[in-house]
Amino acid sequence: MPDTGTSSSADWLKRERLPIRRSLLQVVALGLAGGLLLIGQAGLLASLADAVILHSATLAGLWPLLWGLLAVFLLRAVLIWAAERTAFAAAARVKLDLRRRLFAQLQRLGPARLAGASSGELSSALLDNVEALEGYYARFLPQMALAALLPLTILVFVLPADWFSGLVLVLTAPLIPIFMALIGKGAETLNQRQWRRLAILSARLLDGIQGLTTLKLFNASRREAQVIARLSEDYRHSTMAVLRVAFLSSLTLEFFASVSIAVVAVFIGFRLLGALGWGPIDFRVGFFVLLLAPEFFQPLRNLATQYHARMEAIGAAERLVEILEQPFAESVASPRPVPPGERFHIAFERVSFAYEPGRAALEELSLEVQPGQRVALVGPSGAGKSTVVSLLLGFLVPDSGVIRINGEPLSEIDLAAWRSQLAWVPQRPRIFHGSLRENILLGRPDADEAALRRAARLARADEFIERLDQGYDTQVGERGQGLSGGQAQRIALARAFLRDAPLVLLDEATASLDAESEDLVQAGIDELARGRTLVVIAHRLSTVRDADQILVLDHGRLVEQGDHHTLLARQGLYAGLVHAYGVAA
Amino acid sequence: MRDLLRLLALMRPHTGWMLLGLLASLATLVANVGLLTVSGWFIAAMAVAGASGAPINYYTPAALIRAFAILRSAGRYVERLVTHDATFRLLASLRVWLFEHLEPLAPAGLQRERSGDLLSRIRADIDTLENLYVRMLIPVAVAVLGVAAAVAFLAVFDGGLALLTLAGLLLAGVALPLGIQRLSARASAERVTRAAALRTALIDGVQGMGELAVYGQAPTQARLVDGLSTDWVAAQRRLAELQGLSQALTGLLANLTLWGGLILMVPLVTSGALDGPGLAMLALFLLACFEAVAPLPQAFQLLGGTLVAARRLFAIVDARPAVIEPEAPSPVPDGFALVLDGVSLRYGPDRPRALRDISLRLGPGEALALVGPTGSGKTSLVNLLLRFWDYESGSAQLGGQELRLFRGSELRRHIAVASQDSHLFNTSIRENLLLAAPDAKDEALRQACELAQVHAFIADLPDGYDTQLGEAGVRLSGGQARRLAIARALLRNAPILILDEPTEGLDPTTANALMRAVREAMSDRSLLVITHRAADLAAMARIVFLEQGAIIDQGTHRHMSQHCLPYRRLVERLGDAASAAGTIEPRRDPPCRV
Repeated sequence: MPDTGTSSSADWLKRERLPIRRSLLQVVALGLAGGLLLIGQAGLLASLADAVILHSATLAGLWPLLWGLLAVFLLRAVLIWAAERTAFAAAARVKLDLRRRLFAQLQRLGPARLAGASSGELSSALLDNVEALEGYYARFLPQMALAALLPLTILVFVLPADWFSGLVLVLTAPLIPIFMALIGKGAETLNQRQWRRLAILSARLLDGIQGLTTLKLFNASRREAQVIARLSEDYRHSTMAVLRVAFLSSLTLEFFASVSIAVVAVFIGFRLLGALGWGPIDFRVGFFVLLLAPEFFQPLRNLATQYHARMEAIGAAERLVEILEQPFAESVASPRPVPPGERFHIAFERVSFAYEPGRAALEELSLEVQPGQRVALVGPSGAGKSTVVSLLLGFLVPDSGVIRINGEPLSEIDLAAWRSQLAWVPQRPRIFHGSLRENILLGRPDADEAALRRAARLARADEFIERLDQGYDTQVGERGQGLSGGQAQRIALARAFLRDAPLVLLDEATASLDAESEDLVQAGIDELARGRTLVVIAHRLSTVRDADQILVLDHGRLVEQGDHHTLLARQGLYAGLVHAYGVAA
Repeated sequence: MRDLLRLLALMRPHTGWMLLGLLASLATLVANVGLLTVSGWFIAAMAVAGASGAPINYYTPAALIRAFAILRSAGRYVERLVTHDATFRLLASLRVWLFEHLEPLAPAGLQRERSGDLLSRIRADIDTLENLYVRMLIPVAVAVLGVAAAVAFLAVFDGGLALLTLAGLLLAGVALPLGIQRLSARASAERVTRAAALRTALIDGVQGMGELAVYGQAPTQARLVDGLSTDWVAAQRRLAELQGLSQALTGLLANLTLWGGLILMVPLVTSGALDGPGLAMLALFLLACFEAVAPLPQAFQLLGGTLVAARRLFAIVDARPAVIEPEAPSPVPDGFALVLDGVSLRYGPDRPRALRDISLRLGPGEALALVGPTGSGKTSLVNLLLRFWDYESGSAQLGGQELRLFRGSELRRHIAVASQDSHLFNTSIRENLLLAAPDAKDEALRQACELAQVHAFIADLPDGYDTQLGEAGVRLSGGQARRLAIARALLRNAPILILDEPTEGLDPTTANALMRAVREAMSDRSLLVITHRAADLAAMARIVFLEQGAIIDQGTHRHMSQHCLPYRRLVERLGDAASAAGTIEPRRDPPCRV
């Protein structure tokens, strides 16, 4: 295989089959039983035809055969239905289990590591990519086994009945693995090269639609339409060139199947006539063999149509394997409780962290936060401010160095218990699908209505909530009513108030809120800071001015610290940041 | 039905290929049925002749068997090639059709929904239409013709047999799929809604992962996701079971038809109305002819989804453009002064006015800054100037001619724009620039990029101006993308230049250099800048402050700082450390408005 990604995800798919091996065996057994019934059906039909055509039997004498046939027909229908059910159940188990494991893995990786990935893409992976595996387990794998077993079973019956016809089929039998390889190969070339091309084409169309306004501004839309037409035409040409070859494999399969049937039929015919002078044959046997000849090749043809399920699954699995195999920080086996005390002293001691090797986000950063302080993190983009907060939240673990909470290393503290001591207001708070009440209760699910309303009031969220028709029961989030940036911020603040934690981590919004919202959010933050330790990634001058301590970060290091006036007087990076804008302090 | 006809009309240019595909499909069906039928007759006839010693012409049937065998293989091959080719042709013209019909709607008609949603839906819908020809039109046509031919063939031998088979075929091909579809209607709907619920929970779980972790709710969300996943699979299970039932019953119906056929035929043989080989032939024919209706259940299943996809595409395409283009040729403007007099604009009859009574003048040599909080009407004003939206009252003129009289494309020849959502295409930097001026020389590209302060960055890239952008190439930072878009707009060399937040995400030195260069380049033309950077504002000749769609005040920076209180407050608030330090990070996800 040229592509290691393909082979490794194929191996992974095979490994994932193990827990459902029994169900898959059942599916194959049901298919095999169906095959045996089919052989019986051919035998009954042949006897019936023989009796009528050569022995002038009448309907009255044929009823035993007819009832037998009817029973076989019904039984076969039941078996087909049972096989479908079992196959679906097996695939469903894989899907459910996999989705559970993937989501758990995402949660283990945590928000900081997933920050670069698109949430839409990740949820598609868990939804659609997992779904794409169904065909592989429910249909391809059983069909693969049956494609080998059913022809053999048919041979077992045909060979003793008529060795010559059996031989014709046997001669084509060794070709079966070759067919399979051919079919696979054809599908593979088609898949790997052409689907990539198709993806490019489809991306180009989307790029064009996304950029329609820009194209229009430059009066270039007509040109783009021509490009799309040309690319589509190129794609058709190149794909058809591949298909002409790829379809040859199934052409060969069809050809062998058709010619074998023809050869079997013609030779049986001549032997029945006695024209060949050898191999006399009974009509009953001849008809039996003729009925089974197409069935000999049918499983292979079915496999050919299921082959795309395998390719689809392999393609989909690649992303899943990627997610599952991402390394994550192991949690400590026996964590210590959170150090006692109402407030926390936080110290970073020569903490280094890199998202990718060689691209350090923090380099031997040391800093201190005193209990009850209001601390502002300031610095250019990429300075490491968000990384500091992610480390404090336990979303990331330092590559080297120690974070101490009241002297205890954070890495040894029970993470859930530590998090219960803090509240977090991110830059763009997530509003979950559900009611506003549920969204605020996230801060403390067992809070009562009075506490909830108090938190909303302190966060300055009560006035807009109460103006809504459904108040706290208004549905918001993905499929509900939209909230403005300022409203979402205030909901997040309400969560923080409800949690009432001694340490608050806050990432100020950069997006310009409308003036009213901004004042309200600011008032909420001031309220929240009272009596708590506040660490804030600051984007506003007012926040910085009021901070007890400003930590100025640059390239993952602490370059300055102090209060606003001290730092301004130092004429360093901070003063530069403020002055460059020409704003009076 | 109307949608279906309209779809078919779109396909008309490819009728020839489509008919060829149908022909190949039919030939394959005939060959397959013929191979088995003739074989059955042949061995039975040979057996009878062998037993009775009567002479028999075996050359014709033996030759027919060989011919059918070859026709069957070749037919299948040709069928697959032709139908695929036809499908690609159809898709190619659908793509171009869609693109050409979306163009007049941009940007107004495409903004109503979140663009990501709209795009992924368009993509999925086009993919769905791919099925129409191969999986619906061909099977239905083949089934109709095949069933008619089969019944006619059987009627030659026995009317009862023909009727029985017709009933069997109709049951298997029409009644059964329709019945199964009715039974699965609820599960089908549930499958869709449950998948949507699961998707929401997953997106919540990923985007809100931080909050869930901090507030100890991660396990709750995991249970929610698992529960929804189980619900979804349960709906799928019901569908799969019905699917299995349909499959089992289709086979059973074919077999029952054979069974009934045998009961009808045996007495015919006994009475001599049908000879023995005829029975063998017809028995095999009965089994084989069900192939004609085998793909129908799938066709029925896909039909609903395909029509929904078509209806959605038609609905998007049929939306009324926000601006009706004039029939008459555009007037020739006398100079390029823009004059707005009492202009108002609203985005819909039931929506509040986005611009109210705006009066404004922008002449050559002037530099104008537009400020105001989010939603104050800055973008609406630009939309109006570009004729992306129509104004409802007042007068807006370019060079003394009303904007309404211009065709959009004529008007936009005179106005170059670099906006916040200026799109950079996934091609090379050069091609992105050439969009503005397809014939521009390298020297001109370089000049524009130097003005936009992006040349040094491009020159440092290994592939320079041939660097590929986007998913397969280099990802630009927000500031780099912004400057490249500005270079592209400058390259246009238009008498009017509009820049939307040109300095956002730039460090102060670069921002100052950029604005100085732009002002110099536009010194004898018109420049309109939307900005929130105090330094930019101070350097512009005139400032217009917008709030809630109306102009609060306009004048020099000094005038505004002294007399316009909201302006002063805004400028003070702008002094936030973030913008000053250039820490505004590129947007990762959309804001929480849904």
